[in-house]
Parts: sequence; structure tokens; C-alpha cells
Amino acid sequence: MIIIGERINGMFKDIAKAIRDKDSAVIQDWARKQEQNGARYLDINVGPGAADPVAAMKWLVEVTQEVTDLPLCLDSTKYDAIEAGLKICKRPAMINSVPAEAPKMERVFSMAAEYGAEVICLAMNEEGIPKDAESRVALAMELVATADAFGVPIDSLYIDPLVLPCNVAQDHGPEVLETLRQIKLISDPPPKTVVGLSNVSQGTKNRELINRTFAVMAMANGLDAAIADACDDELMAAVATARILLNMDIYCDSYIDVFKKG
Amino acid sequence: MAVEILKEKYRSKVGEVVLGATKEQGGTRSHTITVGGESALPFLHFEGAIPNRPVIALEIYDMVPEDWHPCLEKYYGDVYADPAAWAKKCVDEYGADLVQVRLRSADPDVKDSSPEDCAATVKKVLEAVGVPLIVIGCGKAEKDNLIYPVVAEAAAGENLLLGVAELENYKAITSACMAHQHNIIAQSPIDINICKQLNILIAEMSTAMAGRIVIDPTIAALGYGIEYTYSIMERARIGALQGDKMLAMPMIGNIGHEVWRTKEANTSTEEAPGWGEQEERAILWEATTAMAYLQAGMDILVMRHPRAAALIRKNIDELMQDNSY
Amino acid sequence: MGLTGLEIYKHLPKTNCKECGAPTCLAFAMALASGKASLDACPYVSEEAKAALDSAAAPPIKLVKLGAGEHQLELGDETELFRHDKRFFHPTGVAVLISDTEDAAAKASAFDELEFDRVGLHYVTDVVAVKCDSGDGAKFKAAVEAVAAKTAKAMILLCEDPALLEGALNAVADRKPLLYAATADNYEKMVELAKAKGCPLAVRGKNLDELAELVEKIVALGYKELVLDSGARDTSKVLADLTQIRRLAVRKRFRPFGYPTIAFATKEDPLEEVVQAGVYLSKYASIVVLKAAKKEQLLPLLTWRQNLFTDPQKPIAVEPKLYAVGEVNENSPVYCTTNFSLTYFIVEGEVENSRIPSYILSVDTGGISVLTAYADNKFTGEIIAKAMKDADLDSKVKHRKIVIPGYVAVLKGALEEASGWEVMVGPREASGIPKFAKENFA
Repeated sequence: MIIIGERINGMFKDIAKAIRDKDSAVIQDWARKQEQNGARYLDINVGPGAADPVAAMKWLVEVTQEVTDLPLCLDSTKYDAIEAGLKICKRPAMINSVPAEAPKMERVFSMAAEYGAEVICLAMNEEGIPKDAESRVALAMELVATADAFGVPIDSLYIDPLVLPCNVAQDHGPEVLETLRQIKLISDPPPKTVVGLSNVSQGTKNRELINRTFAVMAMANGLDAAIADACDDELMAAVATARILLNMDIYCDSYIDVFKKG
Repeated sequence: MAVEILKEKYRSKVGEVVLGATKEQGGTRSHTITVGGESALPFLHFEGAIPNRPVIALEIYDMVPEDWHPCLEKYYGDVYADPAAWAKKCVDEYGADLVQVRLRSADPDVKDSSPEDCAATVKKVLEAVGVPLIVIGCGKAEKDNLIYPVVAEAAAGENLLLGVAELENYKAITSACMAHQHNIIAQSPIDINICKQLNILIAEMSTAMAGRIVIDPTIAALGYGIEYTYSIMERARIGALQGDKMLAMPMIGNIGHEVWRTKEANTSTEEAPGWGEQEERAILWEATTAMAYLQAGMDILVMRHPRAAALIRKNIDELMQDNSY
Repeated sequence: MGLTGLEIYKHLPKTNCKECGAPTCLAFAMALASGKASLDACPYVSEEAKAALDSAAAPPIKLVKLGAGEHQLELGDETELFRHDKRFFHPTGVAVLISDTEDAAAKASAFDELEFDRVGLHYVTDVVAVKCDSGDGAKFKAAVEAVAAKTAKAMILLCEDPALLEGALNAVADRKPLLYAATADNYEKMVELAKAKGCPLAVRGKNLDELAELVEKIVALGYKELVLDSGARDTSKVLADLTQIRRLAVRKRFRPFGYPTIAFATKEDPLEEVVQAGVYLSKYASIVVLKAAKKEQLLPLLTWRQNLFTDPQKPIAVEPKLYAVGEVNENSPVYCTTNFSLTYFIVEGEVENSRIPSYILSVDTGGISVLTAYADNKFTGEIIAKAMKDADLDSKVKHRKIVIPGYVAVLKGALEEASGWEVMVGPREASGIPKFAKENFA
């Protein structure tokens, strides 16, 4: 499993401020820190308060690319902002995200095909997030079939089964894990899977412990990527260890360092 | 019907290591040799680049070998006593891409030659041939640690491939290679985890050295556990292509040395009539071992019998032909 | 793996009628892919779709049998690309080629001698291939009969003229030889012949595309006992084709390639031929055919086959017994170790290096290494003492000293008590043996 560093997000106060003040040092510092700690993609989200999301996205992409070669994950509900970012990304980026809703899929998948971007696909539609695994998988299937029709390679899709906080929707946990397993049966090659890891612990105590426990459980069920806090050392160590135990990396005594260095 | 060819998409590739240095580069070699760089499994040109062909080194000793099979005398007997002439014969007559000098005489139980003697031999061999050199110690760590700095300094600028570093003993040789800019053989005992860890430790001493490592997974001969090393090499190479940087190094194996210790190479025709004629059997024992390791991703094959080497050179020629669809 | 949801979906009516109980055809396809529904629930599915879904359940590569009786060979039924992922199951058949223009009887009479004993194992050259180079039916038939009279091993008959082939086949049909080969020009007649005699049939295309096409045509005629040849003869191209055939069969369940394969070494020089055959054996050929027929040429190839097809999960054992290294006598040192082959061979190599002729007692630990065996109580004082007795060590040497591996130094007391011998603790790693021997036995 790879980590998509979540920290460059306008939801965080320091990032929101940096966007307002055009203070690139703050952004670049987080880009470097996340990369050094083992992030393989960097999520870029202008946040809800940005005055001009398109301009803010462009600026974030520019300043981030000045200090890192990591691919970016452009995170916005405003597809114009995403497209503005895609135009200036130096390497193929990831679009975050699209639900199983026809007009949105059309816009996003044609954009993905044009820019060679990967896409995070949410297992939800106009009716919301389904509770059981079967309905989530059916939505995933719809997303995959639609992406395929638009000429987006299936292995460039990351299906997000949508994790809910365990203190309000405890019964979703096992359904999400089952969804992760079944998504691998959709096609060959199968789509990849991703979760927004921090959601699972929203509003709880022991957030970090819950995050890393769930990360490891999800990995055992085939999870390919997580949008998460790359600077959480315990999380990164748990992920590195799970990769060893799942025979995804070849063991050596320094395996945690190796995972972080990539 | 058109068959949809299945090509693997790999994330990464094997690093390249350059051996030897020409006059312009600060050495005296007539040319350099680059190994590694593969972005596909062995010889699968249809899905990636195999930019450098695997190379064959012939092995020489710095003394008359006490235990080489008599059938090798007709090829090397006249030069056994003169490492420079021996190396020259390997290159000029037997077409070796490289020569590996094993400093056997330094073994305290053999002749206990001094580090200075060893360095003098290496210098003589360097003068005699234009190909890049591989130099390995006598196999006794304590003594080898005295030899590395002296040989490394004497051959400064020549960009040797110097061996061997082991998990329990890698610092002295790594320092010697760092100081005088040579490449290093990292040897692990048929163990992929130690192989990876040793590469990390060397890389931690110097990031520059990380790009100068050649992996010796410790090979076994045909019939003597070859399948263990074969699988380790396959796993390491797949790991490298999938992005494991600490396994993404070219690989070397002492094929001649291992094969010529086996019963099948040494037992006479009379003693084992059921096994056929000795020399041809030995040649094929060495060539078959080499053939298998080529299929597992070996980049530098250190061999002994000139006819086995010639067979493998031909095999490499053929396997290097493009097979794209 | 079976069919994926998307593949199943392609075969469904896509009407979202809900009669199966699932809300959409997509959802039903996923339920099928995960084994939670049965295709019977769909009232509108076509026969074609049913057949496609059924065939996905078959193994990726069909098991095809060559020959009859005790020398029958099983080919194919492989599931892996790399032996370390599980194992390779059916060792490549090694076939020696005899032409009907040479003295077939003479070459065949030596064929059964191409069997070898080494490290307690018996290696066999399994197949004899007779080729019609003469273009003369009578001559070919005579050669086939002469070969059949000399060996009972499995046979391949190489002749692309169905009429000539039939004549020779009639003489040896009960041996169920592999018929080589059906091509675009002759396949209908070849299939007829193979069907009539119940023989496996090789199929040769000009390339992978033509091969796949030909296989589909033959399967449509109702015959599936097939062995594939892509037609390539250059080493590099054969390697690529064999790799593609295996990959597409295993990874993509590409049905036309779900059969064993045959490859031909083409080199004139027998040594080059062995190396070339070795490449094909390493990379997926189910049968390799070569002309080389000397013992020294086949022993290395058969040894590689034996090594490659061992089960990586299972430790390989050497025969537990007393081995003599060099010209031993009654004063020679005695070492003991387990019968895990890798351990034994490493110890043997180092004892040889010590240049002191010695005995090595390989103790039966079920083929596991020293420390594992010790932990498992399979390498104890009593067990070693019993092995010493079984090997009659008392009468082999005059002294009463035995060397045990340094890692199990703790066994010294127990073994001395059980055997009455003096126990010397050797080095922990085998590489220390030469020094140890020099200090103690030189």
C-alpha cells in the first residue's frame, strides 16, 4: 500500500493561511516533510475557504512541484480547479474524486482520458453512501464500466469504498473491508482501492491508533493506497510492517527506513 | 486471430554499474564495461530494455592453482605461474570480457603473501590486459581487510570491481572502495534478506557506493542447490523491477569456482562410466550452470573452462537478439 | 482466478430485469464473480454465455498424457510463472531425436542407457522422437518399428504427411505417441488420425497468432489432447513465445494457449544444443527435443530439470548414510551433519577443501537443517548415536572421535553418553571446517 500525503489541504489552518498570504515556504515544507517520511503522492486541496479555487489550485501545484517530483493528487469538488491543476502538472496526476453519478463521471473520465490522469472513484451516488458491501461494489462496477467506456485504463482507477467514523457508523467497518476484497473481482487487471484513512477516527479518542489499526486491516483485505498523515511515524511503521507480513516487500532488518525512502 | 501480447509494466529498473576506466577517465583500460540497466526479466526484450549484455569474466589465480583439474592444463598450464600472461591469454585467446584475479596466495594457510605482493600482482595484470578487472581476496576476512586498502590504492583510478563485502565484514572494503573509487561486490549467503540489508549498510556508509554495488548472492553449482540461488535471484530481480531499490543492482556469480568443486566436473570417465566423458561433462556442467543463472538475471558470469565460456558467449549472443512482437 | 465481474457482465443480457433478485445485471455479475450467486438464477442467459463461464472453471493449462503404461508422461497442468511462487509440477520431457535417415536401431539401442544415478536419485531420458526425413513411408515405418523394438519409452512421431504418418503410427498406436504436427495445411487429417488412435497431437503455427487460430479450429473439431509449438526456432524468439504462451494461459486464462508446449533445439554442435535446450527447459517448455544423445551431454540437462522441478516448500534430502570424501582410511576424521541437502553439500564442499579425506555421517532429520532439526528433537544425542551404529562406524575407523556442528555444541554430553565416543565441537559455519581440520587432523 502507498500513502497519499494528506497535509496540503486548506482545511488545515496553516495551509489556508499560506494560500491567503501566498507563503510558498509553508507548502513546500510540508511537501518535503511528507516525501521524506514515505508519501508517494501528495494530495492538494485548496480547502473550503479559498476565494478563487482555480487560482489557488494552480498556485499550490506550482509551488509544490518546485520542491518535489512526487505525483500530485488534485482534490476538489470543483472540476474546473482540477482541470486547471492538471494542465500544469509535470507528471500524470490523480483526480480526487468522482462519485457514480452520470454527469460527473462524464466530466471527470473525459478529463482523465485527456490528461492521462488516475482517478479516485467514490462508491456513492445521488442517494448517498450505501451501507452494505454489495451495493458499494455495484457502484464500483458502474464506475469501472463507465471509465472503461471513456478509455480510462481500469488499473488507473482507485475505488474508495468510503470509510465512516467508527464512533458513528461502526457497522460500516466490516462492509468496507468486504468491499475492498470484492473490488478485486471486478476485472483483470482490477481497479485499485483507496481510503481516506483519517475519516475512520473522526471525532474519536486514540485517533492515531485507530487509523493505523484500520490501515493494517484494510491492507490485509487488499487496500492499495490511503490518503493519510505521512508524518505519523507509527502509522508509517505499521504500514511498512504490514507490507512485509503480506509478502509485498522483501524483508531486511532496515525495512522501515527502506519503506520511507521508497 | 491476433493474440494480445501480455507485457508486464514494471515501475523500476536495475541500476547500471560501469567497470574500468579509460585514460580519459583516469585509468588505463582500453574500454569500460557497463552491466545492469535491465527494465525487463532476462532477455524479454519485448517488454523492456536489456541495454547491456551479460558479460563473461575468466578467473585467474595469483599463483599456480594446486587443485585445478588436469584437463585445464592444456589451456592454462603454460601460464599458471604468470598471472599477467594468464590474464592476457584469457583475453586474447579465450575472448574474456573481463578478468577476475583471485588473490589466493594471500591466504595465511597458503602462502600468506603480503598486501603489497597482491597489489604488485594486480598492477602487473592491469599492465598486461586492457579489459576491466575484478579482484577478490583470499576469503579470510582478517587478511582480506589488510589487502583491500593497499590494492585499492595501487589501482586507484582503474575503477575495479573489488570483492567481497559480507554482512559481518563490509566496512574495510567499503572504505577502500570509497577512498579510491572502485566498485564493490556485496556477498550474501544464499539469503535475500541479508542481501538487501548488506546493500543498505553499504549505502548508508556512502550514497555514492549504492550505485557501485554488484550483488553476489553466493551461487551453488548445478546439482548442489542451484535452485535455491536461482529462485533468490529471480525474486531479487522481480523485486528490483517492482521498485525495490536495495535489490536493484547487477548480479555476479563465481560459476567456475563452484562447478569445478563438484564430483561431476572432476570424476574421471573411468571412475564414472555411467556419466560419460569427463571433460565434456565438466564443460557442460559449467555451461548449464551459467545458462540457468543467465535466465535468473545474472549480469557477470565468472567462469573457468574456455569452452564453457565460449558456449555461453554464443548463448548470450542469441538471447540478445530482439524478440519484440 | 475465475472470470471477473466485468467479463461475466459481457455475457449477461444487460436488461436489469431484476428477475435474478439482483438490482442490476452489474450487481448480478459481481455476485457471480464472488461465488454468491448461480448463473441459473438468470432466466435469459444464452447457452454461449454458459459455456464461456463453465470453461473458466477449468485449470489454466490442460494435463496431456504422452505414451502408455509405465513410461507414460504427464505434461502441462502448470499454474505458476516462477517456481518460488509455488512450484513447477510436471518435469519437462526430454526427447532425443532420431532421423529415419540414420541408423535408427543403433541410436535407439543406446537410448535406454541414458539413465543416471547421482545423489541417490535416478534420472531418466523419457522420450524418443523419430523423424521422417526420408519422405519414404516404408523407411519411416521401419525406423519407428526399429526404435519401438529397442525401447519402451514414450515416443514422438514427426511427420507432417498424414498418409505416411498413419502407416508408421499403425505399428505403434498402442504406445500413444505424440503426433507432430498439425499445421494449417494438414490439421483436419491429423486431427482425424489423432482422434482415431487416441494420441496426443502437436500443433504448429507460423507464429503465436496462427497457432491460436489453429488451436481454436482443432478444438472446434472436438479434439483437445494438444501440445503447442509456435514455430519459432531462434533461441530468443522461442524464449519469448514460450513465456507468452505460459503467461497468457496462467494469467489471462487465454484458452487457445492452455496446453503443454514443445520446443526444438536446433544447434548442430551437441554442446550448444544442450545449452539451448536448457533455456527452453528453464522457461516453460513441456517437452524439449534435441539430437544430442551422449551421457555427458544429457546428464547436466537432466540434473537441471531435477533441480528446477523440486518443490521449494519441501526441503530436499540426501540419503542419510555415511559418505566418504576422498581416499578415506581407518584413521580418517568423522563429521556429522543432517541430511538437508544444502547443509550436506556445503559441509561436503568444505570437507573437500580441507584436503583431509574424511567421513561425513548424514543423519536422517527428515531433510531439515541443523538448528531446525535440533529444535524439533530430530537431531539429538540418541538419534546421532543410532545413526553411528547403523552406519557401522565402529568398524570403519579405529579412533573414537566424531565432530558435531558448532551450533549444537550442547549435544556433546548427550552424544558422548549415548555413543561412548569422544565428541569434538566443530565450527558453527561450514566455512570454518578447513581451518578446524588443519588444527585438529593435519
